Amino acid sequence: MDTSSPAVFVNADLLKVYQGRRVRAVVQVARDEGATMVGQSTDGHQLVVKGSPSFPPSHFVEVIGIADGGQSIRAEICTDFGTSFGAQEYNQLCVLANGELKSLFL
Amino acid sequence: MYGGSQNDGNSLFSGGGFMPSQATQTPDSGVSPAKSRGTQGVLPLTVKQISEAFHSSDDKSGFVIDGVDASNVRLLGMVTKKMERVTDVSFTLDDGTGRIDVNRWVNEAAETNEMAAITNGMYVKVNGNLKGFQGKRHVVAFSVRPVTDFNDITNHFLECIHIHLCNTRLQYSAPSSMGGSENDIYNLVLGVFQEPASVASEHGLHVDEVARRLGIPMNKIKDAINYHVDIGHIYSTIDDNHFKSACNG
Repeated sequence: MDTSSPAVFVNADLLKVYQGRRVRAVVQVARDEGATMVGQSTDGHQLVVKGSPSFPPSHFVEVIGIADGGQSIRAEICTDFGTSFGAQEYNQLCVLANGELKSLFL
Repeated sequence: MYGGSQNDGNSLFSGGGFMPSQATQTPDSGVSPAKSRGTQGVLPLTVKQISEAFHSSDDKSGFVIDGVDASNVRLLGMVTKKMERVTDVSFTLDDGTGRIDVNRWVNEAAETNEMAAITNGMYVKVNGNLKGFQGKRHVVAFSVRPVTDFNDITNHFLECIHIHLCNTRLQYSAPSSMGGSENDIYNLVLGVFQEPASVASEHGLHVDEVARRLGIPMNKIKDAINYHVDIGHIYSTIDDNHFKSACNG
C-alpha cells in the first residue's frame, strides 16, 4: 500500500498547478514530431508530450508523467485509448477530482 | 418437492424423525448473515480511500469507509509487478491515487487462463475482498478483467465519487426520520430561494411558485419551508406565503 506518488487527473488548465508533479492527462493526437507529440487536451488546449512513442492521429492517448512547464508533460507511460473516448466526461472528472472531492484522489 | 408440505411449519414440531428437513433448516437459519453480506454489494473505491479506511478490529476484514462496510471492493487501475506462482498470481495495482497489492488464487484452468491474459501495463477491473494483515492492506481478487472500453476508467472514478457522496449524505440525514429523500427536498427548496432572481425580488417567492417550479407536493414544500424558517435560512416577507432567502439579502 503506497499513496506517496499519485498521478493527478489533469486537463491543460489544471496542469499548471502541478509543476514537477506526477500527473495523468488524456490528449487527442494532432501530430507526431518524432520524440514529441502535440495533442489537444480534454479542455481543448494544446499540450506537448515529450518522450512518447508514436500514436496514430486523432487517437486519444492517456499520458502519465511529470508536469513539465505549463503546457507539456514528460511521458512515462502512454496508453492508447482508441478513437471513441468521452473527452468531455473525462474533463469533468478532472475538475471534480481537483475540487471538493480531492480527498478521494490526493 | 417431496416434503414441501411437511416443511411448512410441521417440520418445526416433527422431532427427530425428519433429519433431512432439519438439515435443510440449518442452512436456512444461516441465510441471514449471507444475506447481509449480499446486500452490502461491491463498493467502488480508489486506493486513496482504502489507505484512509478505518480498520474496525484486529480482524482480517472489518474495514469501514464513509460509514459503510468495505469488505467487497471494486478497483480499477494499471497492473504492475505481476508475479505468477503455482497456486496464485499477485500484482500491484496502480490506480493513479495509490498502489495496492492484489492476490488471485488460481485453482481451476479458467482462473489460470484469466490471469495469464493479464500483463503489466494493462488496465484492469478488480473485484475482490479487502484484507488487512499486520497493518498491510491488500485485495484478494474474485475477478481480474481487462478494461476494453477506456470510458470505464472515467466511469469507475465517477462511481467512486457518486457512492462516496451517497454514503456521506445518508449519514447527514440519519437524525431526520425520513432519510435521504426528505433532505433532498429541503436542499431543492433552499436552492430555489437562493437563485439570484429570487434573492433580487423584493418580496421573495410565493409558496405556489416554489411548488410549481419543483413539481413537489405542497405539503412537502411547506415542511421544507418551515424547516428552513426555523433554522434561519429563509424568512417570511409580506405575508405567510412569501419567503425570501436570508443569504445576500
